[in-house]
Amino acid sequence: MPVRVAIDVGGTFTDLCALNEATGEYAFVKDSTTPENYAAGVINVVRKSGIPGGEMNRFIGTGSTMVINALTERKGAKTILVTTKGFRDVLEIGRSNRTDIYNFRYEKPKPFVPRRFRYEVDERTSYKGEEMRPLIKDDVLKVAEACNRNKAEAIAIAFYNAYANPKHELECYEILKNKVKTPYISMSHELSREWREYERVNTTVLNAFVQPKVHQYLTTLELELRRLGAKIGAHVMQSNGGVATFEQGRKTPIYQVESGPIGGVIGAQAIGKAIGADVITLDVGGTTAKTSLIDSGRMKINTEYFIGRNQFFSGYPVKAPVVDIVEIGAGGGSIAWVDELGSLKVGPQSAGADPGPACQNKGGTDPTLTDAFVLTGVIDPNYFLGGEIKLRPELAEKAYREVGGKMHMKAIDAAIGAIEIATANMVNAIKLVSVRRGYDPRDFAMVAFGGGGPMFAVALAQELGIKKVVVPKVPGVFSAWGMLMTDLRHDYIRTKVVGLESSNLGELQGTLDEMKKEGTKQLESEGIKASEMRYEGFFDIRYLGQEHTIPTPVPMGVKSADSLALIRRRFHDLHFKAYTFNLNDPTEVVNIRVVAFGKVKKQPLRPSRAPRRARAKQSRMRSVYLDESGFKRVPVYSRDSIPVGAKIQGPAIIEEPTATTILKKGNLMTIDRYGNLVVEV
Amino acid sequence: MAKLSDFTLDIIESSLIASAEETFSAFGRASKSPVIYEVLDYAAGLTDADGLLIAQANGVPGFLGTLDMAVQDCIKKFGKDGFSPGDICIVNIPYTSGTHLNDVNLIMPVFVQGRIVAYSAIKGHWSEVGGMHFGSWTSDSTEIYQEGLIFPPIKLFEKGKVNQAMVDMIRANVRTPDMTLGDMEAHAASLRVGAKRIEDMCKKYGVNTILEAMDRIQKKGEKLTKLRLKELPHGTFEVEDTVDDDGITDIPVPVRARITISDDEFIVDLRGSGKQARGSINCPWCATVSAARAIFKAVTDTHGPVSDGNFRALKVLADPGTIFNPIPPAPTSTYWESMAFITDLVWHALAPMIPDKLSAGHFLSVCATIVGGMDDRTKQPFAIVEPQPGGWGGALGKDGESGLVCSGDGETYIMSNEVMEVRYPIVVEQYSLNIGDGSGKGKFRGGFGIMKDYRINNSNASFTSSMGRSLYPCWGMNGGGKGTPNYFILEKANQAPRRLRKVAAESLQAHDLIRLRTGGGGGFGDPLERDPERVLNDVVDGYVTVEQAKNEYGVAIDEIQMKVNLGATKSLRNSFLSSPK
Repeated sequence: MPVRVAIDVGGTFTDLCALNEATGEYAFVKDSTTPENYAAGVINVVRKSGIPGGEMNRFIGTGSTMVINALTERKGAKTILVTTKGFRDVLEIGRSNRTDIYNFRYEKPKPFVPRRFRYEVDERTSYKGEEMRPLIKDDVLKVAEACNRNKAEAIAIAFYNAYANPKHELECYEILKNKVKTPYISMSHELSREWREYERVNTTVLNAFVQPKVHQYLTTLELELRRLGAKIGAHVMQSNGGVATFEQGRKTPIYQVESGPIGGVIGAQAIGKAIGADVITLDVGGTTAKTSLIDSGRMKINTEYFIGRNQFFSGYPVKAPVVDIVEIGAGGGSIAWVDELGSLKVGPQSAGADPGPACQNKGGTDPTLTDAFVLTGVIDPNYFLGGEIKLRPELAEKAYREVGGKMHMKAIDAAIGAIEIATANMVNAIKLVSVRRGYDPRDFAMVAFGGGGPMFAVALAQELGIKKVVVPKVPGVFSAWGMLMTDLRHDYIRTKVVGLESSNLGELQGTLDEMKKEGTKQLESEGIKASEMRYEGFFDIRYLGQEHTIPTPVPMGVKSADSLALIRRRFHDLHFKAYTFNLNDPTEVVNIRVVAFGKVKKQPLRPSRAPRRARAKQSRMRSVYLDESGFKRVPVYSRDSIPVGAKIQGPAIIEEPTATTILKKGNLMTIDRYGNLVVEV
Repeated sequence: MAKLSDFTLDIIESSLIASAEETFSAFGRASKSPVIYEVLDYAAGLTDADGLLIAQANGVPGFLGTLDMAVQDCIKKFGKDGFSPGDICIVNIPYTSGTHLNDVNLIMPVFVQGRIVAYSAIKGHWSEVGGMHFGSWTSDSTEIYQEGLIFPPIKLFEKGKVNQAMVDMIRANVRTPDMTLGDMEAHAASLRVGAKRIEDMCKKYGVNTILEAMDRIQKKGEKLTKLRLKELPHGTFEVEDTVDDDGITDIPVPVRARITISDDEFIVDLRGSGKQARGSINCPWCATVSAARAIFKAVTDTHGPVSDGNFRALKVLADPGTIFNPIPPAPTSTYWESMAFITDLVWHALAPMIPDKLSAGHFLSVCATIVGGMDDRTKQPFAIVEPQPGGWGGALGKDGESGLVCSGDGETYIMSNEVMEVRYPIVVEQYSLNIGDGSGKGKFRGGFGIMKDYRINNSNASFTSSMGRSLYPCWGMNGGGKGTPNYFILEKANQAPRRLRKVAAESLQAHDLIRLRTGGGGGFGDPLERDPERVLNDVVDGYVTVEQAKNEYGVAIDEIQMKVNLGATKSLRNSFLSSPK
């Protein structure tokens, strides 16, 4: 009885989703996350699921929450940086931008390695990758001493121009590894082969900073899984949308950053494929809303990612491909407040799970979005988490009365306003991943999940002109479900600035081949058969003289002028889509990318047949505020009582233990053959 | 319902800002010159039909404050009814609406249903616009005509069709026609991106709603600013300072400001500052207003969105013919050397009273450099045009930032050295903090400037730079020490190294070395009150020597244990206090 298990470790909850490959049945478990020892929480849900270790044929976990927490709380390893003479302070200088332009008391991102732990060694490589000065071994030995004297817990080696030739980094590593006590040594070229020294050194330092923690977590987890009898190699989610072995995960933990919400995007991709549509995702949790876009069945990957960046802070660059997800502070726990001009605002402050929304009576007194939905009648106070928690509407009322008072508004009007503002913020977030990238949301379906997604989905779809909303089964643990669908994935990048011309075909093809070989080796080591391997090539192309490039898909064989013409045509199309114009100029390649996939057998979404008489049973009526027409009595349905094929006309409320879906007037809802709730907006 | 339109207003305002930001990012991505795409030396904004600012994208604050005046210049020339859909104006005249000639404005009226509802504007630094030296701006000009092409408001596009005569003129008058015209194209295309968004918004909400929203955005900004004015210290405050030189001789230029704050007004009176200079350090009127706006925004509403309403309470006064309001044909190409002082004078006067908002003085100058020439490898011209980062002042509760762009620059990026080496024939031998020159000591000390060494890796090159605050370093506050100067050192074959503050088109050969050094920020508070643990940390990090700890901070460090010797520190500090320096 082979069982596939995925576990999403979130900030509040650890979710398990398991698929029995023989029967096609799913199991779900939700329990608290254990921040002191994340592995314990994971093992806890595995135990609760009752799945015998010996029957697991695949295991996927996440390390994202741990990486993000270590970075935001700055609780990581004491890290020493080894860098090229003359460049000790690159990490501190950064790019020198003042993001908060009218703040004459601005604070830059503080480096993760203080100056005392940044050591220089004499060596220099040219931009062409040639040795200008050899690595001085004595300098490295002195650094080794300093590492031991300072009890360094991790070491980052990042040399200037190492992207062009990593020889000196490797030499340095060979000397250090036998001399220093810590086993944790990160090298810049292993993380990024792209130019830009600050971005690369910062990535290396962050990797080192989180490495011991993640290493320990994955090692403990591996051991515990073995104890449970698991015989398979386990995997961990990567922020590029793929998974890596624990072995790889221990080496490059920074690649796990932001990998948490990706399961949902992958799940949405699978649903999009099944229903034959490209989708925009909407994942509303306790503190944030996340949205992402899938074009032609592909997730969008962002290669200019920053940790902690916002309107007023420049953040920390990480040179790792990250699925393009926009996250804003609007979730169930987000707090409504009034600014000094009397405008109502929502978030980014959140009451989280503790003290929680006012209506939960766990100590929270601030009005949250959950409170607003209780007041508008959308959430049934007696059916929150399936009735596990009883909510107290009068506390929600009290919280909103206070905030409404500041605007001379009734509590209910303030609550309605808070929902509208959160909706508007989400509209802007969705525009960032769609309109701002040249996509028209009207061409997409929306897949809504997370505890709050289904409450906002229809309103957002109306606002954006989206015609179809899909709420998958068990939206509350959808991310874990999506993780079951992931392939192994490895991204390789080389900076190589050459014209897109026939004379460079040899060099371009040679680099593609070399990177493909690297990918094959990696996948083989992970036990993937050749027939299950797949490669995608990209050139980052630009017009001669431009700086910014566009990743353009290329065939793995670029052997002829024909393939060059094809690539050029694709580039022109993509450039036009992004910037509304083309130039009649020569083109050049800046980076060559190869993505190596190891295909994992997927459980196809199995359609089930509709019963002959599919009619939904209405459970009761409730007074709910859905639009400007005010409170109306609308029918409420329990999701599990609606058979496949049944149709429900809005307005209505569909309830299930982890989520509530709103249908507005004019919406038509059906349950499709895959069990998804589909709303025609 | 009134409250609903409040929410709608918020949404429309966010969308207007988003369209300015979209315009901004489109230009960066499509541009062909590094000063645009890498440094982001440009700004984008939207005005209403009268040329009043309604939204902007955060770029260079010094530019942002000038966009509306450029739009107004165009309206003045062509009249409110003088535009057709598809028109794009070009203008860069310093005296009425510009800064220096490199900074070119393109302006596009946005038509909806046959009427203009807004103008989309971008001001960007074009790398080359002709003039006496490569890169156009220079530190040795004495007339505007030496600094490049002057574009009075001209229609560069008429009804969507490019004015070919203009393009031919530009091509014939600049040294890098492909780069300059490539930027022109990207510049214009980006304006269309923003205009399209406004058209969409009008379609969605209705033109009248959008117009009403624009009006209310400005009123909101005005109201907020009035609220904040009440919280500022009231009265009249005077301060003066000195600009290193007039650009040509070594004669310094005095600058003075008298700031008067009341419930309704914030007056920056610059009368009494020096006469307009012979050299290119003159700050044109519109840049003067822009610099005052930046500090005014900083002290009234640091984080809120920006519209014309935010600036209605601000009055700026400067006599024509002075350094802050020069008349033609005064050169203006290193205008930042005086412009920065306007922001700084107000800052200096107010900082002691609002230390939660303002730090001590910073290195101030853009410290701009141009390394240019003909690349041996490609036989193509190259120009590395950059600002350099420096040290900022200590502030209440925090030390100054190190290696940060000056107040005139904002979301402005210093180029990656690795990228530069691939692209240009130079070798970067060092890029570190300029700790050797120090920074202003204080309870919270100033941040450090940077050291950057460029080795020329080409048969020849030319170098232009202007680094202000080289003779008169920035100020400390509340008993903190002064900052340190900006300068550079030229090391040429067979010559003794020369320490300089400005140079124009200096000719360099292979292996010559340019060593850039920017200054540290001023200190905040009495250094003898600095927490000894902070001093110790500075020693361990190498920011401060054991000697400096003792002599400047009165902190005795036990070097063997790397600990503060508390007893010795106490007596040291007591002895400093009893014997005034």
